[in-house]
Amino acid sequence: MPEMLIDSVILEVIWNRLLSVANEQQDALLRTAFSTIVRESEDLACGVFDRQGRMIAQSLSGTPGHINSMATSMRHFLVAYPQERLAPGDVLITNDPWMTAGQINDITVTTPIFKNGRMVALFANTCHAADIGGRILSAEAREVYEEGLRLPIMKLFDCGKPNTVLLEIVKANVRQPDEVLGDFHAQTACNDAGGRALLEMMEEFGLESLDAVAEEIVSRSEAAVRNHIRELPDGEYHSETWSDGFEEPIVIRCCCRMAGDEISIDFAGSSPQSSHGINVVLNYTHAYASFAVKAAVYPEVPHNEGSFRPVHVTAPPGSILNAIDPAPVASRHAMGHFIPSAIFAALAEALPGRLVAPGADPIWLSVWRGNNPSFTISIFQVGGMGARPTKDGINAIGFPSGVAGVPAEIIESLSPLVMRRRQLRPDSGGAGMWRGGLGQLTEFTKRAEGRWSVSCIIDRTKFPAPGLFGGKPGARGEFILDTGARPNPKEQVDLQLHQVVHLNTPGGGGYGDSFARDPERVRQDVIAGYITPEAARDCYGVIVRFTSREGQLVRLPDQWVIDEAATAELRRATLRPTGE
Amino acid sequence: MYRVGVDIGGTFTDLLMLGQDGRTVIGKTLTTSSDPSLAVETALRQALGEGVTKPCEPGELIHGTTLVTNVIIERKGALTALLTTAGFRDVLEIGREKRYELYDLNLEPPQPLVPRYLRFDVPERILADGSVLQPLDEAYVQRLVTELRDKGIKAIGVCYLHSYRNPEHERRTAEIISKVAPDIRVSLSSDVVSEIREFPRTSTTVANVYVQELVANYLTKLQQRLDSLAFVGSFFVMLSSGGIATAETSARFPVRLLESGPAAGALAAAHAGVRSGHPNLLSFDMGGTTAKLCVVEKGQPLKTHEFEVDRVYRFKRGSGLPIKIPVIDMIEIGAGGGSIAHSDSLGLLKVGPKSAGVEPGPACYGYGGEEPTVTDADLVLGYLDAKFFLGGKMRLDVEAAHRALDRLAKPLGLTTEQVAWGIHQIVNENMANAARVHLGERGKDPRHMPLFAFGGAGPVHGYRVAEVLHLPALISPLGAGVGSTFGLLVAPLAFDFVRSAYSRLDSLDWGFANALLQEMARQGRMVLENSGLAASEISYRRSADMRYAGQGHEVSVPIPNRILDERDIPPLTAAFEQIYRELYARAGPDVPLEVINWRVVASGPQPEMHFRPTPARTGETAKKGSRLVYFPEYGSFVETPVYDRYVLRSGMSLRGPAIIEERESSLIIGARGQARVDEYLNVIVKFADA
Repeated sequence: MPEMLIDSVILEVIWNRLLSVANEQQDALLRTAFSTIVRESEDLACGVFDRQGRMIAQSLSGTPGHINSMATSMRHFLVAYPQERLAPGDVLITNDPWMTAGQINDITVTTPIFKNGRMVALFANTCHAADIGGRILSAEAREVYEEGLRLPIMKLFDCGKPNTVLLEIVKANVRQPDEVLGDFHAQTACNDAGGRALLEMMEEFGLESLDAVAEEIVSRSEAAVRNHIRELPDGEYHSETWSDGFEEPIVIRCCCRMAGDEISIDFAGSSPQSSHGINVVLNYTHAYASFAVKAAVYPEVPHNEGSFRPVHVTAPPGSILNAIDPAPVASRHAMGHFIPSAIFAALAEALPGRLVAPGADPIWLSVWRGNNPSFTISIFQVGGMGARPTKDGINAIGFPSGVAGVPAEIIESLSPLVMRRRQLRPDSGGAGMWRGGLGQLTEFTKRAEGRWSVSCIIDRTKFPAPGLFGGKPGARGEFILDTGARPNPKEQVDLQLHQVVHLNTPGGGGYGDSFARDPERVRQDVIAGYITPEAARDCYGVIVRFTSREGQLVRLPDQWVIDEAATAELRRATLRPTGE
Repeated sequence: MYRVGVDIGGTFTDLLMLGQDGRTVIGKTLTTSSDPSLAVETALRQALGEGVTKPCEPGELIHGTTLVTNVIIERKGALTALLTTAGFRDVLEIGREKRYELYDLNLEPPQPLVPRYLRFDVPERILADGSVLQPLDEAYVQRLVTELRDKGIKAIGVCYLHSYRNPEHERRTAEIISKVAPDIRVSLSSDVVSEIREFPRTSTTVANVYVQELVANYLTKLQQRLDSLAFVGSFFVMLSSGGIATAETSARFPVRLLESGPAAGALAAAHAGVRSGHPNLLSFDMGGTTAKLCVVEKGQPLKTHEFEVDRVYRFKRGSGLPIKIPVIDMIEIGAGGGSIAHSDSLGLLKVGPKSAGVEPGPACYGYGGEEPTVTDADLVLGYLDAKFFLGGKMRLDVEAAHRALDRLAKPLGLTTEQVAWGIHQIVNENMANAARVHLGERGKDPRHMPLFAFGGAGPVHGYRVAEVLHLPALISPLGAGVGSTFGLLVAPLAFDFVRSAYSRLDSLDWGFANALLQEMARQGRMVLENSGLAASEISYRRSADMRYAGQGHEVSVPIPNRILDERDIPPLTAAFEQIYRELYARAGPDVPLEVINWRVVASGPQPEMHFRPTPARTGETAKKGSRLVYFPEYGSFVETPVYDRYVLRSGMSLRGPAIIEERESSLIIGARGQARVDEYLNVIVKFADA
């Protein structure tokens, strides 16, 4: 037990206060940000750092992508502007994807805070800008230069004076200058608010410096994480995850090494970086890897410098998960969202009973454009979550991302699109002792004359979500036109009048032997229509019969019965599947 | 005429009766959960015997109840079917497609009230502009409803896409149902909440019809009990919006009764604030398991239209069933007297969210609880008197509290007193942190709002919460422990209406908007006239939910009570921009505005409450004794005067440290506190400069 510098009550109070300050910062940004993605998915982060640039508290952001990418950025900020070159009223900014969150739209603003002329802390936040010039969010660019205006680490304010040169350049390079500059202002203001609250708190507790508090936070968190990891079995565990890729499939190879109280995660052997904008910078890889390890091993330990230390994440430079500047990176989530499943799949054996089977993973994005009237609308969709060691996977829910869906009524009010269907996709959850979550069946058409097109960034149409421990894979995703054509899942498709587009999202993988699933659960799934009686028979070896007259619209649970004898016979006779 | 408020809580049913002459009766009886109307009868019978009313004098009963919340949480409602537009029967289950908790791999989604086998695709389709793409297949509906009737289904919710714009198909469906199965209860989404976004609208509609039968039966039964008491007069029910409605209206829209008890608490705080010259305040109601905070502005609690019931993670947004109803905007925090303290894997002292509840309760209750709770800490610190808990009705075991705290103190390397103060301080901090975020989200600066503390534990913790938040003062009313019932007596008859009509402001169809507003006002007049009001007593508040085109959140903008046309665009824009600036402390972008919803609130006059506080007992000294109490300002226990709440008179003042005790609660005043008693016997504590 390290010697206590501060008693645990005061530490708890101060620590909570720091978290509260970060959350207040976050809420201010959430309310004022203009980019839809920020509001709907809480695609932002706020944090408090000590003088050395160690993150000591972070807001509860909604997506894992920023969990420590902002923390990493602080090191770069302090290299560019060491403490002695910072003064009260200075504000720093950058959107360099390799220094921060892996996408040129993600802008990080940092403010040093001074007490009695001495720097005591830094506040930072990362926020998805409505626009940063270049191409509108897509995977189409071949170099990061096409994706927008890159801002190296520089001063946004110098001793309280705005950097008008920078602001003029940004203004001339973006489509919505008022909103983008407004967001710069909000990002600066929320850091100031955080700084004020921090100074008040230091006053209240008579603190001249945060160093001792920071030391306690970092060392206690690190010790707690190490304690958790030490309980895990040492060893090396591997997995292989396949993505549809852009033109050809991409593989993510993951090796998790647990030794003593540390975990190393390496992605050597993964595909090389792509010529399209689905590349991931190491920071973002690190962010999703940290998310996965925290969820799996230490969900209750807060994220800060200390909790990152025992987890090491590496990927070969030039590979898909560690792309080299100037690779295009705008749609990095398309690959990044596979990382947690890749880690879970590797660690599943080492951590029995704790991890989730792979699910639909990357969120589906479709961008619809057309005229008469002219419109552009981006729609996020999700599939099923993988099955869990003691539970089925959740139907139609984003994992690992946290983006909320858009209601059909809003889609149809904002555009001439008509959503003809949005429902759960029967038989799409991978069979298992625990069933994978169901994907969705969705259909789109357009109500007026005029040209229209869709371009998608969707995945798992070629490689389904695999099951764990003998569980079956979930259903593949489908992108089908009413002509029966199945276009490339990542290219723009021009559509005809009255054409219907089917986007059927993937199901999650199953967990454990499906023939060991409790027949009553299988019957419940048939009653709900999650699975068909045919799938109950073929995938689970359970015969569920409808005992009433056919052709009824209303089928109540007591009308469905298990044919016990036939089930026992079938389960005995069928060779147990060994998984994929 | 006398008026009486009855609020059914989880443990107690509270009553406040106000006679014609301003005299009051307070009643408290155990809640009878198997038949809650019984406790109402018991409490009322007792109160009627107290002599503030005359026989056959007409009365007005206003009732707050948690019945609807309980029916939903316990899933005791009717077996309900849902009819949706073909292709959308999973709206309830697909929900927002978002996990409400990032790191919990084992999280459970909220369970819809209608199982999938009772959700049906109905061939029909209306588009966003209200036009019909596919007519309703009436033969199909007829066949489906016949089967549902024959299989014993008692309730049907109907929610078709864009019915807020064109309710024709829903109405036609209701006609068919009433013909085929007149006994089945039906709720149409266009009646319950005519608002865009299919998931919350469906969820609200289904909840409404799911609880309807039980609520109707309960209200009928209660009416019978009132009749048996020879109660003459009218009977109203408190709504979540802070208005009241007749039993008949309540039975049609029972989902609006959710949270009616806490709403009454916030109203009581608002009313007391106005009378004591504090129209802006922060209402703080802390009980045994939770605390509720609410911002009161210009004498009115803030309202919202987003609510969730039955949260899987009790305090986590997104983990419950969304309900779109007008509701007083409160934040609920999982911290109360029963919250359990523990040490976590980082060696830190944590309080809650686990609660010892009533059984086994805090260690000091002596019912077998062994884990240290906030109440145990408060007792050890001297804030509670072991011999005067609930006015002496219940004895607290100080030794047991010490033992429980000791077990926690040792591994943390602290003394018992340190751990007790730590618990007290941490729970206050948790409250203050939640309040800061709640205020921040609404763009409110609390520095001019006093804290209005009530509920059993509110006055014990209020001083420190106000101090941590830098609030200017703390106010605690007489009878803080039964504060909510006051609110029932000050609520006006009121009903809220909403219609979605999505449009850009600059291309708005004003004729259509005016028609919607007038239709809502007409419905409001009907509801209130049927409740016994004259047309001249009814006032209307109109508003529009507006936003910058493409933004996700709307801002409610008041609009004038007259026919609108394009000349209203500049003033509406200006009003929107002003509210936007207040909320977000900055001007918005140069983007066109759009209107999402139109709203009308029809309300009657706010009742005058001629409340005459029972005169203080005279001839006694206010100070009833002293004891050793811990105050952090001194870093130790100091001999502290204890005052009797019932002897305090208007105009008296006293300095901290001090304790003012009443039966249901104790008001703790720290060293910087300067307290004075106002003419309504509120104690107002200000902070002297440190």
